[in-house]
Amino acid sequence: MQKIPLNKAKEGMVLAKPVLKDNGMVLISENTELKEDHIAILKKQGIKFIVVKGAPLDMSEGMYGFSIKNRIERLDYIFRKHKNDKWMQKVKKFFFIYFNYQLKKMENQGD
Amino acid sequence: MRDLRTERKGKILSVDNLPTLPPVLDEVTKMIEDENTSPKQIADVISKDQVLSAKVLKMVNSPVYGFPGRITTIHHALVLLGINVIRGIIISTAVFDVITSSMVGLWEHSLCTSTISKIIAEQINLKDPEEYAIAGLLHDLGKVIIAIQLPEEKKEIEEVQKKEDISYLEAEKKILGFGHDRVNAWLCDHWKLPLPTKEALAYHHNPSLAKFYPDFANVVHVADCISKVLEVGFSGDEIVPLLQKKSFLSLGLTFKKLAKIMDQVLENIIEVLTFIPK
Repeated sequence: MQKIPLNKAKEGMVLAKPVLKDNGMVLISENTELKEDHIAILKKQGIKFIVVKGAPLDMSEGMYGFSIKNRIERLDYIFRKHKNDKWMQKVKKFFFIYFNYQLKKMENQGD
Repeated sequence: MRDLRTERKGKILSVDNLPTLPPVLDEVTKMIEDENTSPKQIADVISKDQVLSAKVLKMVNSPVYGFPGRITTIHHALVLLGINVIRGIIISTAVFDVITSSMVGLWEHSLCTSTISKIIAEQINLKDPEEYAIAGLLHDLGKVIIAIQLPEEKKEIEEVQKKEDISYLEAEKKILGFGHDRVNAWLCDHWKLPLPTKEALAYHHNPSLAKFYPDFANVVHVADCISKVLEVGFSGDEIVPLLQKKSFLSLGLTFKKLAKIMDQVLENIIEVLTFIPK
């Protein structure tokens, strides 16, 4: 599941959450596979973001200045003050495992 | 040393350069003290200032709060978020220009910390997660105020931080004798902010000192640490602060829960990164 700007929406993406109008009315329901018509309607209604299934925007390499690969590479450096702290090493390990898991998930999706 | 510190406190709170809060805020603060005031009356007062109202609505509709649909009136915003959150938003809009011009990247760091604070509060079922979002949004305000009121010292802080490779907070303490957390506490008193916000702002580096609302200090502390791992924006150094184990555990957090929180953060991060209120 990923929240993406409407201008990145493409035909074939599937809505993970319904798109609502300002008054709370459902514009397009969840699980809908997007067609060009849908995207045009959403644009007309001034919708800026939609939540779609999977993670179509590849954040592994970088998206809006944020990348998972870069996060993994930076861990040693940003945790450099806590080399002798067992707890902080555990925290660092958590993020290492977490980001690698995310990376793998994104790579598998690309196949 | 003590005299110098008192003198600097005076300088920091001297009103000349302190960002001015909209006069509406004073009026609203007085109105809240009267129990008979209705949200509608407060909304009417805020709505009189159209520029401010537009800014507040933009923030209310930001990814931080993540309401489906659009909130189009101040009254609706007040009913949904409560007066404490709206007050916090008014303050953030008042200092936004100063934040972006005095410390590049701090706004993005604040916005990210705000979003994470709200996600943590939601995941551990705390009441009114939006109030945590406000505390997260304002948590580094003291840094901005130091930058405006003591520009020379701010340069020294940055130099010492780089040269000695210490945290920004340590550098502040070296140069000023106190950190932005202390300035936060002064500001909260000065602007009469509610106690939960004050404890979060004053103790986000040392949450065990929070006596009345430890959840607030703990949540913003953990959110700040995660925000520093993500390195969205820039908050003065490239060092993850010591995540206090006690703080982490007292919120009932585990690494499993942290993974869930991170899932939520990553799901929303693109929207946060593309949101810059003007």
